[in-house]
Amino acid sequence: MAESFAVEMRGITKTFGSVVANNKVDLNLRRGEILALLGENGSGKTTLMNMLSGIYKPDKGEIMVDGTPVSINSPEDAKRLGIGMVHQHFKLVDVFSAADNIWMGVEKGGAILKQERYDRIGEMAKKFGFDIDPRKKVCNMAVSEKQTLEIIKVLYYGAKVIILDEPTAVLTVQEIDKLFAVLRRMKEQGHSIIIITHKLNEVMDISDRVAILRKGEYITTVNTAETNEQELTEWMVGRKIDLNIDRPVVEHTRPLLEIRDLTIKNDEGAVAIDKVNFYIRGGEILGVAGIAGCGQKELCEAIAGLRPIVGGQMIHKGDNIVGLSPKAIQEKGIAMSFIPEDRLGMGLAPSMSITDNMLLKNYSESKGPFVDRKAGRAAAEQVIEALEVVTPSAETPVRRLSGGNVQKVLLGREIKAGPNVIVTAYPVRGLDINSSYAIYNILNEQKKSGVGVLFVGEDLDVMMALCDKILVLCHGRVMGVVHAHKTSKEELGLMMTGALDLSNRYEDKPAGIAKDTLMGETEKGDE
Amino acid sequence: MHLHVIKRDSCPGWKKALLYVGAVLAALVLGGILLLALGVDPLKYYGRMFTMGMVGNKIAYRVFENYLKVFVPLAITSVALSLAFKMRFWNIGGEGQFILGAVAAAWVAFLTGGVMPQGVALLLMCLAAMVASGLYGLVVAALKVKFGTNETLLTLMLNYVALYFLMYLGETKASWNILLDPKSARPVFASFGKMVSFPGIKFGKFSLNICVILTFVVGILVFIYLKYTKHGYEIAVVGDSVGTAHYAGMKVNTIVLRTVFLSACLIGLAAAFKVGTAGILSTAITDDVGWTGVIVAWLAQLNTIGIFLVSALISVLHYGSTAAATTFSAVDSSFANMLQGVILFTVLAADFLIRFRVVIDKKGEK
Repeated sequence: MAESFAVEMRGITKTFGSVVANNKVDLNLRRGEILALLGENGSGKTTLMNMLSGIYKPDKGEIMVDGTPVSINSPEDAKRLGIGMVHQHFKLVDVFSAADNIWMGVEKGGAILKQERYDRIGEMAKKFGFDIDPRKKVCNMAVSEKQTLEIIKVLYYGAKVIILDEPTAVLTVQEIDKLFAVLRRMKEQGHSIIIITHKLNEVMDISDRVAILRKGEYITTVNTAETNEQELTEWMVGRKIDLNIDRPVVEHTRPLLEIRDLTIKNDEGAVAIDKVNFYIRGGEILGVAGIAGCGQKELCEAIAGLRPIVGGQMIHKGDNIVGLSPKAIQEKGIAMSFIPEDRLGMGLAPSMSITDNMLLKNYSESKGPFVDRKAGRAAAEQVIEALEVVTPSAETPVRRLSGGNVQKVLLGREIKAGPNVIVTAYPVRGLDINSSYAIYNILNEQKKSGVGVLFVGEDLDVMMALCDKILVLCHGRVMGVVHAHKTSKEELGLMMTGALDLSNRYEDKPAGIAKDTLMGETEKGDE
Repeated sequence: MHLHVIKRDSCPGWKKALLYVGAVLAALVLGGILLLALGVDPLKYYGRMFTMGMVGNKIAYRVFENYLKVFVPLAITSVALSLAFKMRFWNIGGEGQFILGAVAAAWVAFLTGGVMPQGVALLLMCLAAMVASGLYGLVVAALKVKFGTNETLLTLMLNYVALYFLMYLGETKASWNILLDPKSARPVFASFGKMVSFPGIKFGKFSLNICVILTFVVGILVFIYLKYTKHGYEIAVVGDSVGTAHYAGMKVNTIVLRTVFLSACLIGLAAAFKVGTAGILSTAITDDVGWTGVIVAWLAQLNTIGIFLVSALISVLHYGSTAAATTFSAVDSSFANMLQGVILFTVLAADFLIRFRVVIDKKGEK
């Protein structure tokens, strides 16, 4: 053997039913390197890593750790072999403290007093240069703290090989920098790291080598220094692709939807949106940036009439829409599509067919007591054709479709209704490059036809390329509205964390109030 | 050796059918072992049970009539429960709703029997039963909608309220209590069978009770209601995702109230059919259909046609075990309950095999 790898996977094949998730995949990880595992959604990255961490077992192929073949039958086996994985969805107990979460999984940990536990874990965290309070409960932690805790956890269990599944998805730019610093330090200490991602700039930034998967097939492994983003994309997608997102210039109309001093509470009764002002014109895409859980969901729900508001005004084309039923708001031409984390929770009935889902908003309009499935089927077939939805038939339950297709169905239905304002939250969440670009195109088409689009997103690069203006939220407050082509990621990142507040840059004109407002003088009201 | 569980993409229809038949057979084999332990020949017992003692019986038509009397309330109750279950409203208050319906029907029978024409009296009985049961269910739905109470607990507890109410009526001699027999010194329920009762259509000696026909009509109507109407569509959406239903602008509360009322109404209808053919109340009037109906609805996976098939089978078990108990004194008729429980388990196991494949991994042997 020429080189002994920390981990080597050879000819790994894994199938789920008739779906081949991994087909004869080879992967090797050197000691003390950061390997990026790159691939579109559904290319089998997570499946491959789950086999390394003992969650699945390969159908074929072998895994070698430090040159010896091993059989990993459970996460405990993986732990013993020094392999630890930080999952995309954290596996922490909310009501436990940081230390207890770690202690839970310590084999033969025994019952030692809390004080000592805190000390031991605090010490160990310090050793690796982490800043964390072992007594803090997980439910009081920010997302980045939770992630740090997950990393400390696998390190405490003695992992030499650490797998991170899309760790940056939930972080701000500044937090990503911090995380990458941690990863580099771990590398120096001799840990080997695999980082799963589909963001090219991060790959270029952090990794030593890149392994690429496409549709379950292993493509190649290259040294990061010897490649570039364009080349990586071609490997990942399988063909040349234009990475530029269009931002067509469209003549703006007067404000379609104006939000003034809007205050909303979340399910727990805390203020989720605090005196927010903004407006959307026809023919523009307004981005909403913010760390996850900064009131984006509540805002979308309020506009769609699904959540009562505490105060403020929502004016659509000069008419007040506060207090209207969801149905009435739809009829005014405001469409909302929200893709929640599970991607199925809102807007679609997952067990029902595409046909039935097409009918969701207009089933009651047909005459008589029966549902007009013929119209639904026709609509379903139109959307399937227009947006190239991959499905066995229009009668397939939405739950069985892949993520991109689910989102196309949802967006397709919303657009079919001919709205004048589209509120769309995370429309490309978890989508591969091709599907994402298809969605951007759909949104741009709508923009060109004079629709106002509110785009709640998470990827700043995309938002800066696609949106005309970006509104930044931090803990429910507007930090400012910036022109997408004039701002920078750093500026947005600072605004997202609340370090930079541009909302009162011009004292006479708070951000988010249109000069040519359609709201009457009397309606404006003072605070 | 390692056992691996692998998800199936799809399972062909014939395989499903085979697995379900296999599950029932497996349950019968398990029951057979128990019978052997009791010193009873399982084949003979099952033979008697599944023919319900009709073979070589001069009044076999009577047996079948009685079998249908068991089948009718069970089938309607199960169909009714499936309405609520489709919406993920866990109505396990079938017993209580059935009892109130039965009391209402009997009360109306005593008031109208002999006074009004039979057809009118029967219609009023059905209506009274449906309203009484429907309201009893509606209370729970209203509390859930208004205060978010747990419907499982409430319907469960209201079963006992209804049962004790029935017992109270059965033991309280008073001038207002027209349900009791005035001639008897002890409190006993009086019969109204001679005054008013559901008629049958004669086919030779066999009389097909009109309730049986109505049951099938109800079944077909519910099938259409769930599958093709807007209401049925709303039920499916609410059951699938309440968030989506709100988002689509549906009035979720109204849908819940309406559907639960309808579900309980149908249970009331089942009670009216039962009382109207029995001609008398009793504290065991429900025959446990409120409980058995839950099992039937789930075994049939809330499919209306499936519910009719499963009800027919379960009724054979129950009625057949009573018939067999007359010949095999060692086996009590509750044997049917045990068998029903075992079938539930084996069918669940079959469900698992329909959804997953179990693979033995030999490489793991080390």
